[in-house]
Amino acid sequence: MNNSPKLTPGKYDLIVVAAVLALAALLGARFWLSPAPESGTLLAVVEIDGAEVDRFTLAQAAEETRTYTNNGVTLTVAPCATVKRDAETRTQTETAGVRVVSSDCPTQDCVHTGQISRAGQSIVCLPAHIVITLAGADADYDLITG
Amino acid sequence: MKITTRQLTLCAVLAALALALSYLESFFPLALLIPLPGVKLGLANIVTVFALYTLGAPMALCILLVRCTLGALFAGNASALLFSLLGGFAAMLVMIALHKSRLSIFGVSIAGAAAHNCGQVLAAVLTLGNAAPLSYLPFLLLVSPFTGALSGFIAALLFRAMKNIQLMQ
Repeated sequence: MNNSPKLTPGKYDLIVVAAVLALAALLGARFWLSPAPESGTLLAVVEIDGAEVDRFTLAQAAEETRTYTNNGVTLTVAPCATVKRDAETRTQTETAGVRVVSSDCPTQDCVHTGQISRAGQSIVCLPAHIVITLAGADADYDLITG
Repeated sequence: MKITTRQLTLCAVLAALALALSYLESFFPLALLIPLPGVKLGLANIVTVFALYTLGAPMALCILLVRCTLGALFAGNASALLFSLLGGFAAMLVMIALHKSRLSIFGVSIAGAAAHNCGQVLAAVLTLGNAAPLSYLPFLLLVSPFTGALSGFIAALLFRAMKNIQLMQ
């Protein structure tokens, strides 16, 4: 062996662990600190091969499931409803986010990602080259009150 | 650079071992435990680390190239090639840079695992033409000290076991 490695962990290795965790925290901060706006105003943007193919508010998502097909893979996207109690103890369901309920891809990563409900979150399906991103709604939607 | 038959044979054996390990890995669906795309144990990295120290950087690179190419070929997935190449090369470059430092095999392996994740996320960003996969990177990086330490630990066991065996003459 021309240069034998050190086989027991030392203090320098902790620097590597700290550096990796610091990088994770730095990248994560941007992600976690993003605000969680009213869910009804969130906008889901669907991109296939980098080009936008669909865009809908979560309120619109509640009405139907949507399917997207690309690269031989079909995804089914459905809304996730949560039950919300308001001040008068009336209960109502509200669309809190979207998730991929089924996909015929082999890896199922998009299904395992689960629900997304905050601006900036996304579901990525690599085999299908499909990205679903949640964004804050456009200014146009600010006028909708009812 | 003159390659002896002994070195060439060792390269071929290690490349085969790396391929077998990355196949073996598919039986441990770590992604079910940690629902993140791209999470894996990185067992093939044990071979890369071992080759880096015993055979040197150029031959470790060759083994990596053979493993990635054949792995993608066997999986029948062309886009997997970009992922394993970018991940593998990022890990390789970082480990080449660090393997003569004061770090133990654990630190080198953890740095390699983290670099592998960065490379894979970069491949995902390039494939999709969208920065969305970047949001997975913090989570992948959090997992990498564990997977990196595991493969570093196995590599350390391997080096201990090989201590009295003369691989090169």
